[in-house]
Amino acid sequence: MTDDTLLNIDGLTLDFRTNRGRVKALRDISFPVRKGRILGIVGESGSGKSTVLWSILGLLAGNAEVMAGRIDFEGRDLLKLTPEALRAIRGEQISVVFQDPMTSQIPVLPYARQMSDILYRRTMSDNEKRKAAVEMLRRVGIPDSDSRVDAYPHEFSGGMRQRAGIAMSMLTGPNLLLADEPTTALDVTMEAQMIGLMRGLREDFETTIVVVSHNLGLIAEMCDDVVVMYAGEVVETGEVHDIFHNARHPYTRALLECDPARIADVSRKLPVIPGDIPDLTRPLPGCIFATRCQRVMPECSSLAPPLVPRGTGVARCHLLDGPLADPAWPPPPEVPTVARDAGEPVPPQVRRTAEPLLDVSDLNVRFRTMGPVRARIRGVSDPFVDAVLDVSLDVKPGETVALVGESGSGKTTLGRTILNLQQAAGGVVRFEGKDILGMKESRFKPLRRDMAMMFQDPVGSLSPRKSVRALITEPLVIHGAEGRNLDTEAERLADMVRLPRGFLARYPHELSGGQARRVGVARALALNPRLIVADEPTAGLDVSVQGEILNLMADLQAEHGLSYLIITHNLPVVRHIADRIAIMYLGRIVEEGPAAEVFAAPAHPYTRALVDGVPQPDPDRRRPPAAAIEGEVPSLLRRPTGCDFVSRCPLAREECRMAKPAHRNIAPDHRHACLFPLRKTPELTETA
Amino acid sequence: MLNYLLKRLGLAALVVMAVLLLLFSMLHMIPGNPAILALGTRATPEAIAAYSERMHLDEPVLTQFIFFLGNAVQGDLGNDVFSNRPVTAVIGERIGFTLALICTGMGWAVLLGVPLGCLAAVRPGTWIDRITGVFSVGMIAVPSFLVSIWALLLFSLHLRWLPAIGAGEPGDLSDQLSHLILPAFAIGLGWVGYLARMVRASMLEVMGEPYIRSARAFGLKPRRIVLGYALRVAILPTITLIGMGFGGLISSAVFAEIIFSRPGVGKMIFDAVSDRNFPIVQGGVLVATGFYILVVLFSDLLIAWLDPRVRASL
Amino acid sequence: MSVPPSDPVPAEALELRESASRERREKLSSFLSDWQAVAGLVLVVAFFASAIFAPWLAPYDPNAMDIPARMSGPSWDHIAGTDQLGRDTFSRILHGGRVALYIAAIGVSASLVVGLVLGMIAGYGPRWLDNLLLLLFDAVRSFPAVILALATVALTGPSLTVVLAIVIITTIPSYARVARTATMALRHTEFILAERSLGASTPRILFHHVMPNVIGPLLILAAMEVPVVVSIEAGLSFLGIGVLPPQASWGTILNEGYLVIRDTPWMVIAGGIPLILTTLGFTFLGEALRDLFDPRMGRGR
Repeated sequence: MTDDTLLNIDGLTLDFRTNRGRVKALRDISFPVRKGRILGIVGESGSGKSTVLWSILGLLAGNAEVMAGRIDFEGRDLLKLTPEALRAIRGEQISVVFQDPMTSQIPVLPYARQMSDILYRRTMSDNEKRKAAVEMLRRVGIPDSDSRVDAYPHEFSGGMRQRAGIAMSMLTGPNLLLADEPTTALDVTMEAQMIGLMRGLREDFETTIVVVSHNLGLIAEMCDDVVVMYAGEVVETGEVHDIFHNARHPYTRALLECDPARIADVSRKLPVIPGDIPDLTRPLPGCIFATRCQRVMPECSSLAPPLVPRGTGVARCHLLDGPLADPAWPPPPEVPTVARDAGEPVPPQVRRTAEPLLDVSDLNVRFRTMGPVRARIRGVSDPFVDAVLDVSLDVKPGETVALVGESGSGKTTLGRTILNLQQAAGGVVRFEGKDILGMKESRFKPLRRDMAMMFQDPVGSLSPRKSVRALITEPLVIHGAEGRNLDTEAERLADMVRLPRGFLARYPHELSGGQARRVGVARALALNPRLIVADEPTAGLDVSVQGEILNLMADLQAEHGLSYLIITHNLPVVRHIADRIAIMYLGRIVEEGPAAEVFAAPAHPYTRALVDGVPQPDPDRRRPPAAAIEGEVPSLLRRPTGCDFVSRCPLAREECRMAKPAHRNIAPDHRHACLFPLRKTPELTETA
Repeated sequence: MLNYLLKRLGLAALVVMAVLLLLFSMLHMIPGNPAILALGTRATPEAIAAYSERMHLDEPVLTQFIFFLGNAVQGDLGNDVFSNRPVTAVIGERIGFTLALICTGMGWAVLLGVPLGCLAAVRPGTWIDRITGVFSVGMIAVPSFLVSIWALLLFSLHLRWLPAIGAGEPGDLSDQLSHLILPAFAIGLGWVGYLARMVRASMLEVMGEPYIRSARAFGLKPRRIVLGYALRVAILPTITLIGMGFGGLISSAVFAEIIFSRPGVGKMIFDAVSDRNFPIVQGGVLVATGFYILVVLFSDLLIAWLDPRVRASL
Repeated sequence: MSVPPSDPVPAEALELRESASRERREKLSSFLSDWQAVAGLVLVVAFFASAIFAPWLAPYDPNAMDIPARMSGPSWDHIAGTDQLGRDTFSRILHGGRVALYIAAIGVSASLVVGLVLGMIAGYGPRWLDNLLLLLFDAVRSFPAVILALATVALTGPSLTVVLAIVIITTIPSYARVARTATMALRHTEFILAERSLGASTPRILFHHVMPNVIGPLLILAAMEVPVVVSIEAGLSFLGIGVLPPQASWGTILNEGYLVIRDTPWMVIAGGIPLILTTLGFTFLGEALRDLFDPRMGRGR
């Protein structure tokens, strides 16, 4: 422990007592946090990264039990402090930014009250406390903070709420700030703003920050030091450049290689780490990663790997030291260490000239904002908002079209309207040339064989009391399965989505995210549809698993000639699977064109903001703090009169405020809705 | 807010209408002359004719209902069959006893049950939680009329600590209070346990919310977290519960008034049922349900006032 | 003899079956280690047994009078004493249990079924239907049970059927509200939307996918409602507007005991004990079941 260490975790070992037995959630966690730096803890779900954070504060769940180790902070072991002494440190010297500002701020108290409560230990007058709160809210970028300090959390938008959360944690000027997935609940453009804000606060207040995240881009962009965790162990630590450019643990390497944002080669096959996280009630005696490691050796599962020091950290692997060391490991960064799924990249089979399978034109969806009586009382002549505004889009047979937008863009509504799950206000939707909009359910039902939908939440979109077998055969039952043996059908479908047959007897809550997603795919495929509308197909999946699902979807597309309409906010993923991309903002499509072209040279400023907004998993490609576009997606109730993006556009001019720009083509298959596009010509010369 | 109030009042009026319709149709569903039913078998033919005239019994049923409604709105609920005094006057001199009983009963239950529930939630699994748990289940399990009977047996007849019947001498406050104690104890006892359990459950739920963890992470004092944060949220469902609980409390009060011969509205209705004194039954039922509707309305408004989220959605 | 090649039983499936049965065993053992749960179970079983076998268990005919032995306290001949007509109180209690069981069984199951269906319709159906049903529930709830009973009996006269009707009508709204709230919460979940996207009909969604997720809390509520129902019956019979003498019911025993309370305390004591034991039993059992199955209470976190 050196002088510049603010916090040192040493040998932290922790169990959770559950009715399945003791889950060994953390095993021998050791790493220092250096003063004035930003340390990132990165890992997938189940890695124990958040548990580490909560043990620093002594705020673990009741069934947690610290078995060994110490956490030294300013000369004291936090694990041995009395509750009173620990409470004196919380909020004053160590403070926290929480993952979800929706649930982590008490809904019934205004911010002024919540913030002056945090200052209760200070000898300040109420007026001074209020001033301090106003000042800190102003510092984190909340306009009119002297009046908005009296607002309640529900009166703020998501981004503002997270800013207020950061203001609360910085109010006392803590030495150490802990941030638990601080941007996970936010949109891409918000995420970039938060990263800038936190880096700025670090400069101003000389605060040390520990940030926990599964997002490699955020870690690379924000952090100085990185700790990589897997299944309750630290597998590698080091400075951010060493981790991202010279990873030495096979897991770190695999994780980095799986991140779609890092993969330049846009083939349809994504790398995956096969297998699941091991059962932590009975962890193996050897390397915890042995069951999924590409370089596994027989000794790995029995012999504990050595802790090998490196320039700025440590790594825990047999390949690096000892009798099993391999001097050729790690290979240079450009050599892949993770197997891509079997099979060749599938060439696209789009018949460009073919009649579109799905043809949407001028579709409008409106939501009622108040009842007709109230609207009349208040004199509101049009008590509706446009959730989807004049959207035209088509999907050709065999094509993958991605619909990209932030929350509130109307992309999910559009998907549901196409499938007749949501009423439209106007427009035309044709499927194979037949007008299907607003059909009665009884007439629409046969069409449901041809159009299937996959929903966002892999587990939550499965009926919880049904077995997997019942779930994947249900489409057959609904649409009449006379003469079919449901058991063989279930097995056929399970095989098709590469789900082991043993899982047919399970229930949704017993499945991992990836397994549940396979069930969702099987249900969508059961009736041999022509079109699948997939709402966030990789949501809730870890980086190492999402590749499996995307590869599976690509294989099935090649095999069955499926068309996909993929609805997502995740641009890096889209780049690998979509033929065409449509960008939505406030219910309107602002740009649409071939995926590669839209990425390389966007025409609409919003598209560029989205493309640039994705933090790059490479510390050498950090953006300047000002790169993020300002503001937040406005509420549909406050749609700007001119261009929808005008309130946030860095290039907005007077003309933009006058009227909505019409769609214009810059190439036959590339159109946008901007008066002053970033490019007007179709050629692909201005690649970054 | 005004909008919400109007909407709620409109809804309450609709419910009262439904209640009135039910009462009205009850009188008309059973065979026999409604006038005789309303005036009693000893009524003179003249009285019956007058009543038929006044209630428009020759008109279609719908018209009759409208007249019935009109009279009710004007505060005319008919006359007592025996004394021929207006029903409103009869109720007016009795309602005070009932209100005092109900409010005292609920009052002591709230004052004891809510703190007990908080205490049990703050220290789950300790002896105080266990004892509260067993006691409250026990208290909930005993029907209030049985508590009344046994309390009468033990405290009045056996120990002779408190008076058994009546509501005390008019004007003698201490005598009236001593007559209030036993029935109020009896109708509130189950509510002590019920509230303790409900407050405990809702406190435990709130204590698991992420914002309570935030407050702890900011180092707030446990007392502040429990009273200023958790209870502030947990009390909201409890208020709804208390509001709706008045319905059950009215039922308990009917029993208590009968058992302790307390001259309240409940006893009045009961006696009127045995006497087939229909105007009194009708008026009493209307007052009881109207009171209940008002209490529920009040509790909803209180929540809207206490919860900014509800306020915002109005 | 060669073994035919067959799929090896997947290890996960075996493990799962094992873990499911282990979970069941664990739940059972945690249930049995809770003294309240065991006490509740014993009391409930005793209630059912004594009510069903009352004619064989009762030492006397419940209506047989023995005037010389009237209003006696507990003795070896009459373990719960006798009433003012010299009838054996213990035999009357056992037979009174049959009335309680009859009302509880029919009343609870009828309002459970009706409440479940109405609640699901209100929660899943169109807005206007929901509002209408809510208004209806509110109107019914606005009548305190006893007030409604008094008003009804004033017109129809007392009978067991009236008691049953009152019980069913006044308890339907609580089931319906729970079912409605649970259905509303499910209505916009992705799995219901997913079923719609597959083309599942509304009845299929309601009975295959909503009901299994709603029925659990409702069954627990039903266990908790049994004491309420039994109390209503006893209360109305106590007031003389339920079961009519000479038929034995816990309420009529209390009624007759109340009339002679200044002469003998035994009847109101003896009449109250079975009522308390039954309500206590069902409350304990309901609470134990809720602790066991309610995910909010059961989750360790």
